[in-house]
Amino acid sequence: MRTLRLMGIGGALAYRALFNWTTPAMYTGTLLAGPTFQLLFFAYLGRQLQVADDRFFIVGNAVLAASTACVFGGTMAVANERRYGTLGHVLLSPRSRTVVFWGRVLPYAGNGLLIAAFTLLMGVLLLGLRIPASALPGLALALAAGSLACGFFGLTLGALGLRFRDVWVVSNVSAALLLLLTGVNVPRDGLPDWMITVGQLLPITHAAEAARLLAAGRGLDAAAPALGRELLVGAGYAVLAALLLKVFEAESRRRASLETL
Amino acid sequence: MRTLRTLLIGTVLRAKHLSRSPFEVAMALVIPLVQATLAVYLFRAGDEPHRLLEAAVGAGLMGVWASVLTGSGGAIQHQRFEGTLEIIMLTPRHPVLVILPLTAATAVTGCYALVATLLWGRLVYGIPIDLAHPLAFGAATLACIAGLGMFGLLLASTFVLLRNANALANPLDYPIWLLSGMLVPISVLPAWTAPIAAVLPTTWGARALREATVGGPVWPSIGICLALGTVCLVLGAVLLKSFERRARAAATLALA
Amino acid sequence: MESDYAIEAEGLRRTYRTRTGWLRPRRETVEAVRGIDLTVRRGELFGLLGPNGAGKTTTIKMLNTLLIPTAGTARIRGFDVVEQTREVRRRIGYVFGGDRGLYDRLSALDNLRYFAELYGVPPRDQRRRIAELLELVGLTGREQERVEGYSRGMRQRLHAPEVLFLDEPSIGVDPVAARELRRTVAGLAAGGTTVVLTTHYMAEADELCDRIAVISGGEIQALGTPAELRSRADGRRVVEVEAYGVPDTAISALRGLPGVRETSVEDRGALQLLTVQSDAHVDVQGDVLRELAGIRLGRVDSREPTLEDAYVAIVGAA
Repeated sequence: MRTLRLMGIGGALAYRALFNWTTPAMYTGTLLAGPTFQLLFFAYLGRQLQVADDRFFIVGNAVLAASTACVFGGTMAVANERRYGTLGHVLLSPRSRTVVFWGRVLPYAGNGLLIAAFTLLMGVLLLGLRIPASALPGLALALAAGSLACGFFGLTLGALGLRFRDVWVVSNVSAALLLLLTGVNVPRDGLPDWMITVGQLLPITHAAEAARLLAAGRGLDAAAPALGRELLVGAGYAVLAALLLKVFEAESRRRASLETL
Repeated sequence: MRTLRTLLIGTVLRAKHLSRSPFEVAMALVIPLVQATLAVYLFRAGDEPHRLLEAAVGAGLMGVWASVLTGSGGAIQHQRFEGTLEIIMLTPRHPVLVILPLTAATAVTGCYALVATLLWGRLVYGIPIDLAHPLAFGAATLACIAGLGMFGLLLASTFVLLRNANALANPLDYPIWLLSGMLVPISVLPAWTAPIAAVLPTTWGARALREATVGGPVWPSIGICLALGTVCLVLGAVLLKSFERRARAAATLALA
Repeated sequence: MESDYAIEAEGLRRTYRTRTGWLRPRRETVEAVRGIDLTVRRGELFGLLGPNGAGKTTTIKMLNTLLIPTAGTARIRGFDVVEQTREVRRRIGYVFGGDRGLYDRLSALDNLRYFAELYGVPPRDQRRRIAELLELVGLTGREQERVEGYSRGMRQRLHAPEVLFLDEPSIGVDPVAARELRRTVAGLAAGGTTVVLTTHYMAEADELCDRIAVISGGEIQALGTPAELRSRADGRRVVEVEAYGVPDTAISALRGLPGVRETSVEDRGALQLLTVQSDAHVDVQGDVLRELAGIRLGRVDSREPTLEDAYVAIVGAA
C-alpha cells in the first residue's frame, strides 16, 4: 500500500516538478500539434509515393505519437534531477529507488496515451479514416501498451543520463530511430533484416502492429499476440532501467560524478 | 560596408559557437541520416527507386530547415537563459544586424546535414552524386542558406516577444517539409495549400536544389527564393523593431 | 543637447504583470519600483543599495533601456531612455554579476571581436583595443582559450562607455578578485566614467561610492554620501548578543523595551546574532540580558554604529 502510494503520488509530483513541457503553449505545440503534423507528413508522402494506404500511416503514427512525450519525459524524469541539483536528495531517500523511478513513468505513459488518442482522432477527422466502433476498446489497449513500453524505454535512456553528459543527444537520436525502425512509416518487408530485428526489441513496433490489425476490423484475438509482445518489451525495459539506475548510482558514488554536469 | 562586415563576422562567430556544441553537431549530423535512410526505404518501397539522389538531397535540406527552426527559436530562448539576449539588444545597432547572423549561422551549420546525407547515400547505399548542374547546385545551396536564414529571422522576430518561443518552433518542421515539397513535391495535397507553399522561400529553395540535381532551369527558382527571403528580411526588420519595444514594455527580454 | 547630468530620472515606476494558471488565470500586479527620482552628475560613482527584491535591478534596467518605465521619465546624458535608445546605448555599458552573459563556447578573443563589432568599434581600432584589454587582465597569450572565469566587465571597456551600469558585479566573486574589481571600478570613475553600482555589500558601497541611495520596497528611503547615511545612526548605540535558540516572543519583547529603536536577528549556523539599536543615552544592555534570561548566550558587545547599522535602520523603518 505504501509502495503504491509512493508510485502514484510520488510519480505525479515528480511529473510536475521535472517535466518541462506542461505549459499550455508547449503542450499544444510540441505534444499535440507536432505529432499531428508528423502524421500528415507521412500520410501524404505515402499517398504520393504509393507506398501503403492511409490506414497504415495514420494508425502507425498515432501509436508513435506517444513516443515524444514518453521518451523525452522519461529522460527528464532522471536527467532533470541533475539540472536542478536534486538527484543527491532523491538518492538519499531510504525508499526503493526502483519504485520511485517506476512510479515516475506512469504519468508520462498516461500522457502519452492521451496524445496518441488525440493524434488518431485528428487522423480520422482530417484524412477521413474509418475505424469500426467495436475496435475502439482494443485500440485503447494497444495505445496504452505502446505508451507504457515507451515510458520505460525513456526511463532507460534517462538512466543513461546518470552516466553520460549529453543524454539529450541520446534521446533525440532514439526518437528519430523509432521513426525508422519500428516500421511505423516504412512497410516492414522493405527494411533490411537487421533493422527488423532491432525493431522487434523497440517499443511501439508491436503496439503499432496490433493497432493496425484492430483498425482493420480484426478482433482482439488476432491482435493479442502482438499486444503481449509489446508488454513484454515494456517489462524488459522496466527491468533494464532499474538495473542501469542501480549500477550507475553505485558507480557515481565511487567516481563522485553524481552532481557533475 | 560596415553593415556587411558586422553581419559576416556575426555569422561566422555564431557558426563557430554552434559547431563547438556536441549536441548541435550530433543533431545536425545524425538526425538527417536517420531521415535520409527512411527516405531511401520509402522511395524503394514506392515506385521511384531512380530518384534516390533526390531523396538524399531532400533529406539534407530537411536537416537545414530543422537547424534553422530550432536555431532561430532556440537562439533567442537560449540567449535568454544565458543572459546574453539583453546584452546584444543593448548594443547600439539595429536589432536585425544582431539577430540575422544568429539565424544565418544555423543555416550554415545546417549544411552539415546536406553534406552528411549526400556522403551517407554515396557510401552506404551507393547512390552516385551525379548532379545535373554542379555549379548551379553550389549556387542553390548558398541561396538556400540565405533564403532560409532570412525566413528564420522572420520567425525569430516573433520569438523575441514570446516567452515560449521554442514551443511554437518545435512543431513547425513537418508542415514546412510537407508544404515546400522538400523530400518530394506533393501533388496530392489539398488545393488550398498551394498559395501558402508558393510564398515560402523554402519551396523555391528546395525546387532550385532539385532542379540542380536532376536538371531544370535552377536560376529562376534561386531568384524567387532570394526575393521571398528579402521580403521576410524586411518584414522581420520592421517586426523586430516594434517587438523589441514591446518586449521592453512587457519585460520579456530577460527571465529564464 | 547633451546634458551636464549623466542621469536624470523623475517619478520612475515599473509594475510587472504576471499570470499564473490558465484555466482560471490569476493576474497579479507587482509594483517593483514606485516612484524614483534621482540625478547623477557626470563622473560620479553612485550606489544603489538595498535588500533583494528592493527594485535595484529594475531601476537599472529602466535606465539602460532594457525596460520601458510604466510611468515617469529618464534621460541619460540628456537622451530619453524610451525613445532615443540608439543614442543612449552608444553611451552606456552594462555589466551584471554571476556567470551569465558571455558565450562560453567561444574564446576570449572571439567574444571580444563579436562585441567590438556589435558596438561599432572601427575595424582598425579593434585589434589594438582588444590586445590592450587582454594585456590589462593578464590574458595575453591565452586569448584562444574559452572564456570561463575571465572578467565580464572587459567587454564594456571595448567602447569606453560614458555611463556604466554595474548590477551586483561582485556576486559570487572571491575576495581577491572582488578587491581587484573595486580597484578597477574606482579607476574608471577616476577616469571620468559615470558609474552606477548596485550591491548589497555595505563595505563595497562605503568604500567606492560618492553617493548612495538606499532602496527598499521600490522607493528611495535615504540618499546621501556614505558619511551622511552613517550619521543617521548617530545618537545611537548598538548592543550585539550571540545567542542560541532565541524564541520569537523574546525578540518581540526586546522590540518593546524603552529606548530600543531597531532589533534584527541573523542566523549563523546554530548561533543567532541579535543586534539591538537603541538611543545612545539609554543603556539597554541590562534590560536586553534580562529579557534573554534562561537562554544560552555567547559574546555580548556594545559598540558605535556602522554604515551597516544605518542601513538596517533605514530599511527597517521603511
